[in-house]
Amino acid sequence: MTALLLGAFGLTLSLVVPGVLAGARWADRAPVAAVVLWQAVTLAAVLSALGVVLAAPEELVRAAGSGRPVATAALVGALVIAAVIVIRLLVSLADVSRRSRARRSRHRTLVDLLDRAEQHPELDVEGLRVLDGAVPFAYCLPGRSPRVVLSGGALRVLGPDEVAAVLAHEQAHLRHRHDLVMESFTAFYRAVPRPLRRRTPLDCVHLLLEMVADDAARRRCGAAPLHAALQRLTHAVAGGAAGGGDDDRDRRLDRLGPVDVRSAGITVAVLMAAAAILVLPTVILVVPWLDRAFEAWPL
Amino acid sequence: MALGDLEREVMTQLWDAREPLTVRQVHERLSRDRDLAYTTVMTVLDRLAKKGVVTQEKTDRAYRYGPAQTREEMTAALMLDALSATPDRDAALAHFVGQLSPAALAAAIEAAKNSS
Repeated sequence: MTALLLGAFGLTLSLVVPGVLAGARWADRAPVAAVVLWQAVTLAAVLSALGVVLAAPEELVRAAGSGRPVATAALVGALVIAAVIVIRLLVSLADVSRRSRARRSRHRTLVDLLDRAEQHPELDVEGLRVLDGAVPFAYCLPGRSPRVVLSGGALRVLGPDEVAAVLAHEQAHLRHRHDLVMESFTAFYRAVPRPLRRRTPLDCVHLLLEMVADDAARRRCGAAPLHAALQRLTHAVAGGAAGGGDDDRDRRLDRLGPVDVRSAGITVAVLMAAAAILVLPTVILVVPWLDRAFEAWPL
Repeated sequence: MALGDLEREVMTQLWDAREPLTVRQVHERLSRDRDLAYTTVMTVLDRLAKKGVVTQEKTDRAYRYGPAQTREEMTAALMLDALSATPDRDAALAHFVGQLSPAALAAAIEAAKNSS
């Protein structure tokens, strides 16, 4: 029974909940809490899978009334499969972080060599690099030696306040290590067997982290320059034809009105839901099962 | 002076030069307005060659160094690396307005050319 319930819970978390969360517009009003909720949902789905792997053999053996040798074999098999799942996740995490470190390090070398920041003495910002080129863009290179990169084109289309807002946005990404959050979701995505992979969590968390950085920039520079910068940069890049990013951009723009849309009530409710998703199944399902399982521990 | 700044200045000299330069030539150009050891320039050129951004060729007993790509080529390659949307969004970079499909990127480059 425990295995069935945990399985149903895990499937709900991995197949149903992401769709619901992806469509939820209240997330825009509590982006930090929504990221925590995505983390809780993902972690709880992994834990339920582990729970099923451990509980199902034990419950089958007990229901069939098999003897000690069968119970021992079932337990060992279950532990091995659980270990494989955990190792696969850890290997994926190590792989993703190694690859992005390598790419960043190469990118940083080139950006440092091509830097033209000395032509813009008014921008006295630690780690800022300016690239030649008319296409307006801005991005950051996270890591231990971070960089914020602006193109000459971006400096041409943005006013000083807007540049400050963009820099504040990028620095928020770097300061709060949003790259680590994205890396963990990327690692989970790649660890899931291919037919079951869903991009939804990756894309949603990415957008939410942009909103978190927007909020940080808004605190420092106000909403108006940030709103203007976002509009100018997306407009200058392909005049609004920036692929699937249009909805994302509109959702970010909508949040940057004169009134801060963030809600403490939603934040608290979402954080409580995140805690509940992690704690309740453990208390209701796993603890009673462990109680029964340890009584019949075969090793 | 930080090694990074020196590497950048050496690259700038190589980009500005019409032809590959010897260590001595780079050293002369850089020490016009400062005191700089010849061996430092040699070390920096060696590091840049190891990073693959500088090519080394031997002509008449002396090594000559030149940029592996022009400044424009390298900038364009870097921009492509930064802005192109990859199928697996890896977490290496964070963008202010998201990544672009190759077609959108081409359109952006075109639009920027026309407006500047």
